[in-house]
Amino acid sequence: MAFGGGYFKTTYAGDLALIDTRLRRAALGLLVFALIVLPRFASPFMLDLVAQTALAAVGALALNLLTGLAGQVSLGHAGFIAAGAFTTAVLVEHRLPSPLLALPAAALVGAGLGVIVGIPALRLKGLYLALGTLALHHVVLYACGEFQSHWGANTGVSIPPPRFGAWVLKGTIAWYYALTAIGGLVLVLSVNLQRSRAGRAWMAIRDREIAAESVGIDVARYKVLAFVWSSALTSVAGALFAYQRAFVSVEAFGFFLAIEYIAMVIIGGLGSALGAVLGAAFVTLLPYGIDAGVAALRVPGGAEYYLFPLKFGAFGLLMAAFLVFEPQGLVGIWRRARNWVVLWPLRYRPLRPAS
Amino acid sequence: MVLRVEDVTLDFDGLRALSGVSMSVDAGGLAALVGPNGAGKTCLLNCVGGFYAPTSGRIVFGDAAIQGLPPHRIAAHGIARTFQFVELFRGMTVLDNILLGRHRHMRAGVLAGALFWGRSRREETAHRRRVEEIVEFLELERCRKELVASLPFGVQKIVAIGRALALEPKLLLLDEPSTGMNREEKENLARFLLRIKHELGMTMLWVEHDMELVGDLADTVTVLDFGQRIAAGPPGAVLHDPRVIEAYLGRAASREKGAG
Repeated sequence: MAFGGGYFKTTYAGDLALIDTRLRRAALGLLVFALIVLPRFASPFMLDLVAQTALAAVGALALNLLTGLAGQVSLGHAGFIAAGAFTTAVLVEHRLPSPLLALPAAALVGAGLGVIVGIPALRLKGLYLALGTLALHHVVLYACGEFQSHWGANTGVSIPPPRFGAWVLKGTIAWYYALTAIGGLVLVLSVNLQRSRAGRAWMAIRDREIAAESVGIDVARYKVLAFVWSSALTSVAGALFAYQRAFVSVEAFGFFLAIEYIAMVIIGGLGSALGAVLGAAFVTLLPYGIDAGVAALRVPGGAEYYLFPLKFGAFGLLMAAFLVFEPQGLVGIWRRARNWVVLWPLRYRPLRPAS
Repeated sequence: MVLRVEDVTLDFDGLRALSGVSMSVDAGGLAALVGPNGAGKTCLLNCVGGFYAPTSGRIVFGDAAIQGLPPHRIAAHGIARTFQFVELFRGMTVLDNILLGRHRHMRAGVLAGALFWGRSRREETAHRRRVEEIVEFLELERCRKELVASLPFGVQKIVAIGRALALEPKLLLLDEPSTGMNREEKENLARFLLRIKHELGMTMLWVEHDMELVGDLADTVTVLDFGQRIAAGPPGAVLHDPRVIEAYLGRAASREKGAG
């Protein structure tokens, strides 16, 4: 929604700019500044939450690229994350723990898996595609499990902290900066994709495949491209996950993880990069929020016993509630709130001359 | 001759939608394709546009045989089309819809688009300029940033023409562009069609139900009935051809014949 006001754009480059007003520039500057100085004020626990959110946001943005932009449902997301994490584990087992090797390798493995799923996915739609990608999830996890037991590491594989020359990425604050920066970078790349040729082609395929063909988009090619880029990015997120946790185990990549990522993009707002980030924050923080809420109530004794199912229950309930009451997700709420503030004290945009 | 349809037959599991249809469209001409409902007009358009592969026969565009090619390859040959039920990208703005028509003329891949720097950024601006020319040509300035789903049907049909024009095609296929339009919108459409013909010099193959529009604008008219060509020629002659009138209105009752 474009607002009228004191800003009159005189170039197309100006009209394409993302940060186009002084207010927005100031707000962005403030946000970056706040993120930089946050470690001086926040506890390590808080910093870890932000870092976790940023890492989840990378995965959610990758899924949003596939599901939100290109419209291809995927239940295989946790499988791609596992593929990235286990690529790192394999390299570590072969005494090649350098992230400069592991991250590109994870991207390549992810891209390869993307081709493997993407080509049969050309013939599948909706539920059938969801089941096809679910099959991939199980195949990847099975392979990872075999790897894990083959190396005699029944509980998992330890990953040493990533080393860049003499410098070692270690500690809460360092990881906070690294993951927040990566999350921010991926967010910017996602937003750019949405306003350029390839992203538009994906959205065209999502909205109307037959019309996309008629304007000269090679639909098959672009669908496979969506799978390749999305899964490559997801696998990189998986490699980062392995380094940050310093430990890789198949149990961490169960089907519930795939559901969590789908919840992120749906609760955040399908097709919106900002929505993917908001959804990642929401889903990451929700369990801690429930914990804090219960702690604040000071319920006696056995309450913790009921806490665990409560988290899962709240999760499903919230997802259903968003689908029914707010299909545009958190980003829809954000847009409405922003419009309300901009228009206040009016309730509607002033009438324009009829078109 | 830009487009030659030679003896095209199209079967759907025993149902013959087109049988041995031949027609041609001259360069720069506005060729209308008419016929009662179910005559096979849209089927023929879909054969030219690549959505159906003809069972037999040839479709020659310029020097190339294009029958059976997939739609995106046909678009690359310089053929663009609109649809009877608009088929716009509903979640996107008018600008983005028309920009998608520029897809074939742009180069940026996934990585270049994600970086949005240097060449890909300049490319966006350059093509935005071309899109604005189309917006101005079709008088869509007021709704350029609206979501197409929020626009009246008549305006959506014009946006669809804009998207097709953005491909800069040599041949424009229009599938019933005036359906669902009111009088004023039809008059605008007629004006746009004439401007496309005279100012842009594009060749058009135009499926239409409104005989008044066809009679006023078309250079040639081809009439289909039950998948067969029953008449072709200049509109003045064709629209008064007794076989065409019979196809549309039916045969005069025998009682009247006897009285005459």
